[in-house]
Amino acid sequence: MDFDSYDLNPSIYDEMFLPNGAPREHCRELHETLGRLSAEQLGSIQERVTRSFSNEGITFTVYGDDEADERIIPVDCVPRVISATEWQSLETGLTQRLKALNLFLADVYGDARIVDDGVIPVDVVRGCPQYRIEMRGFSAPHGVWAAICGTDLVRTNDGFKVLEDNLRVPSGVSYMIANRKAVKANLRRLYRRSRVRHVENYGSVLLETLRDLAPSGCSDPSIALLTPGVYNSAFYEHMFLAGEIGAELVEGRDLLVNDGFVYMRTTKGLRRVDVIYRRVDDDFLDPLVFRQDSLLGVPGLMNAYKLGNVSLVNAPGTGVADDKSVYAYVPDMIRYYLGEEPLLANVETHLCRRSEDLEYTLDNLENLVVKRVGESGGYGMLVGPHTTPAEREAYAEQVRANPADFISQPVLALSRAPCLIDGGFEPRHVDLRPFVLRGRETRIVPGAFCRVALRRGSLVVNSSQGGGGKDLWVLQD
Amino acid sequence: MLSRSAQGLYWMSRYLERADHLCRLLRLQTEALVDRPIREIHFGWSRIYRSLDRQPPGGRLEMLHSDDYTLADSYTLADDLTFERSNPSSMWSCFALGRENARQMRQCINADMWSCLNLAYLRIQQLSIQRIWTPSPESFYAETGAEIDTFSGVSAATMYRDEGWRFMQLGRFIERTQLTTSLLLSQLAVQTHEETSGADWTSLLRIYHAFETYNRSYSVEVQPDQVLDLLVTDPLLPDSLCRSIDRAVSDIAAIGPGPDGHSSDAARRLAGRLSALIHYDWPDCKDRGSLLREVSKYSRELHHLVTAAYFEYSIEDSPTR
Repeated sequence: MDFDSYDLNPSIYDEMFLPNGAPREHCRELHETLGRLSAEQLGSIQERVTRSFSNEGITFTVYGDDEADERIIPVDCVPRVISATEWQSLETGLTQRLKALNLFLADVYGDARIVDDGVIPVDVVRGCPQYRIEMRGFSAPHGVWAAICGTDLVRTNDGFKVLEDNLRVPSGVSYMIANRKAVKANLRRLYRRSRVRHVENYGSVLLETLRDLAPSGCSDPSIALLTPGVYNSAFYEHMFLAGEIGAELVEGRDLLVNDGFVYMRTTKGLRRVDVIYRRVDDDFLDPLVFRQDSLLGVPGLMNAYKLGNVSLVNAPGTGVADDKSVYAYVPDMIRYYLGEEPLLANVETHLCRRSEDLEYTLDNLENLVVKRVGESGGYGMLVGPHTTPAEREAYAEQVRANPADFISQPVLALSRAPCLIDGGFEPRHVDLRPFVLRGRETRIVPGAFCRVALRRGSLVVNSSQGGGGKDLWVLQD
Repeated sequence: MLSRSAQGLYWMSRYLERADHLCRLLRLQTEALVDRPIREIHFGWSRIYRSLDRQPPGGRLEMLHSDDYTLADSYTLADDLTFERSNPSSMWSCFALGRENARQMRQCINADMWSCLNLAYLRIQQLSIQRIWTPSPESFYAETGAEIDTFSGVSAATMYRDEGWRFMQLGRFIERTQLTTSLLLSQLAVQTHEETSGADWTSLLRIYHAFETYNRSYSVEVQPDQVLDLLVTDPLLPDSLCRSIDRAVSDIAAIGPGPDGHSSDAARRLAGRLSALIHYDWPDCKDRGSLLREVSKYSRELHHLVTAAYFEYSIEDSPTR
């Protein structure tokens, strides 16, 4: 099927085509194959890819409906291709960034030099709802607070930019692997010829990282993955990862703390747990320390953690470093801690807590994306150009009432990639979330969960808001 | 393994066993609709409902001496037992619950087992009594039975023989013991209430794939006592009561003593007593109904003892390791 009717817009970066309409060098193979396949063949490939997800029960749960609903993330069968050199530069940039973020976490829960030196205002840190006063004075094992990071990247005409660092319980990595499995099984020859780097070893890389972070003196740690349970939207992923790393998939009710150690209830009695890869938010980890109404957590867990008898990955309190206000200071952090220039750019961000930024935001609402500091998943945000004056006015009210809760960013022309839509190729906006792991060293699997805004013109890629996925191919040299 | 995982696998198996049992009953029952006398069809439905201890829709079963009514009734009853979502032991519910347990414990079973079960679940999700009734409900039950058999086969061929496997087997055999016992009790009860014919005992043999065996071992003439002997004591019949109980005994032994070294003693002893009832008491037993009632009571108790020993033991009793 040809690309004759593909709506290429030269002012928006296209992942497959140069502005003049020729395919990019690293996309030639893909372009040629897609051109050779008939509409019917492509349709059947798409259908098989979709079906493989429902057959394997790869689903997520949507909130807000009357009942929790098991749904499939729609996956577009056309892969997105990234060249070896592009990836190399991303990898260096991501490594640098996570290193600085970990130094920042150690610092803000320690001496807070960065605040004393005036690089970040104290109220940005302390005012952040994710700042955990309980963690002050604690030093995380091996200096690693955020061991598992899912960084949201977008590409514009000025190159890649970091949109968000997800340092709490980032999800999506199972889709990176599931998308790969489904797409490569249906584009077999193309996949072989394209020499794509593997992502399927993510489980063993994760396991190595978790083992790195075991309490000292523990040579063969027993590892558990703590899930909020089957009603959590990412339950499939928790189950999948537990299987990949050979860990027990536990809920809070399976664990208990005794004499400062954590145990799980097994058929042979209570068994020690040394490392917990927790996919439960800070708030719910331990009702004795955080939210008292939490039924998901384990009373005494934080005590065991602080005694060094169990490792929690990621450490509690990492949310202060991926806060939307703190985000604006990450480039300064990199300069401050590492004495280097940031390799990956931030998106220009206005903090409404600053009066000149607030004024600018309110004056330019129709050209900005405004986000709530504490929200994620695409909730509570305003995409200026897609709103009516009345909606903007209502939103402005909220911003004026609590300016510190909001930040604004320019509407980015996110890059687009061809997708198979209604039997033809159409461009759709995409982003990518690679996963960066940090144990004794930094490890990155060459791939990412690539999200795509399937609705025409939409910029929102979140799965909960009509987004879908794509397989992302990083090519070998 | 994690207690909650073991419990999930145990229940997954129980639900699938229940679905399988119902599927066999309904396959024979819908086959009977083609050519058996109304009296026998009525007997069949009474036997099923009584064995499940469930009220039929409309409160009670009436024998209507008209083909049209019998077929219309059968449609409603089959729907109640197959697709009725509010019926916790309908096939639909058993699949949904079995699959939900599997979904939550998916890291404990392999991908082949999961996809096998999930496909069977997705298929039954899309069907309804209207869609299976014409032209042939029995082929739906045959196919569904084959799907459950495939799942068992795939499990047997691929699953690592760890504790998870043992708990799956244990769940299956405890469930099977309970289902068989209650079906036999219901056969005896319906028989005393109503005039019965040889064919009703024949269909019982067919439910357990034992008809040919019976003909070879005994005679072509079907004698109730001999049918019971075969279904209860034949060690070579895959679904015989004695075999189910012996398998449960050996699974409990293989799983081992549990948290404190003695946690499973009570369960082990009770399973042994069940086995002794069948092996040693049955042959000379005059009142087979009351012996079966004893088996039924003990097998329910066995479930509670297993739960207490491995899944929900109190933490104070348990040493840490």
